[in-house]
Amino acid sequence: MSKVPKRNRRVVYLAATACVGVLAVVLLVTGFGGGGGNGVTYVDGNSNAVLYGAGHRAAAPDFSGTTLSGTPLRFSAYRGKVVVVNFWGSWCPPCRSEASTLAVVAQQYQSVSFLGVDVRDTVVSAEAFDRTHGISYPSVSDPDDTITLDFSSVVPIASTPTTVVIDKTGHIAGAVFGQTTYPELTAILSDVTRTSA
Amino acid sequence: MTELRTPPVDQDGFPAEAASEQSRPAPATAHGAGDWLRWAWRQLTSMRIALILLFLLALGSIPGSMLPQEGVDPGGVAQYYKSHPSLAPFLNHLGLFNVFAAPWFAAIYLLLFTSLVGCVVPRTFRLAGSARARPPRAPRHLNKLPQSAEYSTALAPEPALEVASRVLAGHGFRLRQEGDWISSEKGYLREAGNLLFHLALLGVLISVALGGLFGYKADRLLVEKGTFANTTSDLDVFRPGRLVTGTGLPPFTITLDKFNASYISSGPQQGQPAAFDAHVTYTAHPGGPSRTFDIQVNHPLNIDGANVYLIGHGYAPVFRVTDARGHVVYDQATAFLNGSAANLLSQGVIKATDAQPEQLGFSGVFVPTAIDVSGTLASIFPAPDRPMVSLIAYVGDLGMNSGISQSIYQLDTTRMHQLTASPQLLQPGQTLHLPGGRGSITFVGVQQWASLAITHDPGQVPALICGMAALAGLLLSFLVRRRRVFVRVRGSVVQVGGLARTDASGGFEAEFASLAAELKSAHQRESSQQDTETE
Repeated sequence: MSKVPKRNRRVVYLAATACVGVLAVVLLVTGFGGGGGNGVTYVDGNSNAVLYGAGHRAAAPDFSGTTLSGTPLRFSAYRGKVVVVNFWGSWCPPCRSEASTLAVVAQQYQSVSFLGVDVRDTVVSAEAFDRTHGISYPSVSDPDDTITLDFSSVVPIASTPTTVVIDKTGHIAGAVFGQTTYPELTAILSDVTRTSA
Repeated sequence: MTELRTPPVDQDGFPAEAASEQSRPAPATAHGAGDWLRWAWRQLTSMRIALILLFLLALGSIPGSMLPQEGVDPGGVAQYYKSHPSLAPFLNHLGLFNVFAAPWFAAIYLLLFTSLVGCVVPRTFRLAGSARARPPRAPRHLNKLPQSAEYSTALAPEPALEVASRVLAGHGFRLRQEGDWISSEKGYLREAGNLLFHLALLGVLISVALGGLFGYKADRLLVEKGTFANTTSDLDVFRPGRLVTGTGLPPFTITLDKFNASYISSGPQQGQPAAFDAHVTYTAHPGGPSRTFDIQVNHPLNIDGANVYLIGHGYAPVFRVTDARGHVVYDQATAFLNGSAANLLSQGVIKATDAQPEQLGFSGVFVPTAIDVSGTLASIFPAPDRPMVSLIAYVGDLGMNSGISQSIYQLDTTRMHQLTASPQLLQPGQTLHLPGGRGSITFVGVQQWASLAITHDPGQVPALICGMAALAGLLLSFLVRRRRVFVRVRGSVVQVGGLARTDASGGFEAEFASLAAELKSAHQRESSQQDTETE
């Protein structure tokens, strides 16, 4: 092993430093990429269920559509009420699993409106689903995922199901990403109905 | 002996601290740590190791093309498990079904990346220094250089050097004048080209990293008349880069209006595809104008920096299922997948998840142009000339209520029982009535589906630009020669010497000769002018 000339050694150190620098930048970017903050509180110690603090609530997009029974629906008609918007499909196993929870919570919170957005589905399958699970609140058909697209610009909807809670002023106050559980949904609702009362 | 006792003296001539001398590690341990690291770094950044790593990378990607890969062909992997039950788990353990995500593959390309960066960065600094360097001092004996000339002039040394430097500067030489000589050099573009090549090489590496960090790939199967939105929840497969969260995807929607496939209908290539066209309507953002496009193989649609490629197609037979209570519980086109079977014979499943009182499931085979080959259904042509489905009906629990996701192309029949003893054949319009009044299924008709791949690679354009810059740099460094010309004036004697720094110096003799002639005539002209002025 010969002695490395001084000049070369400096170059080696320089290159090594450059590499470490690049690595540090990459780690920094990745580290802060998924950072929390922004007035978000996690409900039930679970990052799938979140509450957005006052001043951190994005306005829910307005949309219109046709319900499974064929009547036209405009979302702006819900203004002034707390609304639970559930994105679901009859084809999606977690949606089938959470359906009974949603039915129970809808019964319990009579002051809260529930609205389904039925994605990538057909009307006959969706109606059969509602019959099976005893869902009585309406759903809008969204076979093309256009309503989902409108929402995903303000809520990070990654997959179906996703449940979004909208406060009386039409702002998104909370969300459950993935299958909803009773404690998660009721925790969000009790906060939103209390603060917006 | 006394010399040994003198205290050690460091570079500046000051006695070194005894304490620091003691704390310095013994030579053996120094070799163990720092030198070994330095040695490893030098090995890693050597050309030899870079080439070996490049070879390993190529070698490592061979199983990626020989074996089915999870990301691309999950069905193929399952098939491989079935046909090689003992070998498959072993291969899976080695990551051979997902080569490009395997740790050992990552190790190779990360080492290669480090090796290239470690090689290119120091070279870049050296080349930058060399491109800025001043010409060297003139050698003592110019007549010993490969090219040399000598003549006498009537001019005094000072004005003679001045004339020479004017001539050389006029030819674009970089000059250095000291005492009785001028040293000049030309062809720095060679070093600039070399520098450009190395920087562009780094640029290519960074571009590839950009693509890996900020790019994404997604797949979506779309039945005719169907629409999808480019949002993660609506994509079948979504493979984001390291720093892609999936919330900022371009919000376009695409509708598959019609899919056309044409096949060669006669001759030895009968049944081979002739053309595929996916006629789509798209909007770049919600509420934006709709445009139409014809996506073909290798003719992608570009929306907002994302390319949409046509990567597959198949049939989606339309079924209508009625349950025991008379409710229509399923009415839709159902994508069937063509494995490796000839002439688009495809398989699929129908899940009537909300049939009452029990769930219904069907596993089916779709045949576009059916014939009966001694009791088995076969397809003789890929176009839907004589479409037929063969169905097996099941009743029971589809296993979808527990919330666990399952493939829409597979039926879990562990908690179901078969209703029909043998597969039942249906033509379009025909209905199969299930035994025991459990309902019915109608084969309504056939649609086609197209599979689209959406890719966004922000490194693609930078990589192309860097690639072209690398080529330009390489050409410059090959075509431009670095050469030096020296002039020394001693008394009335002018000596000119020259050499080309690179081996491929053909043509330098001629250049030197004309330059020397020009210098001589310039000196003559100048001295004759002086003569006329003095007269």
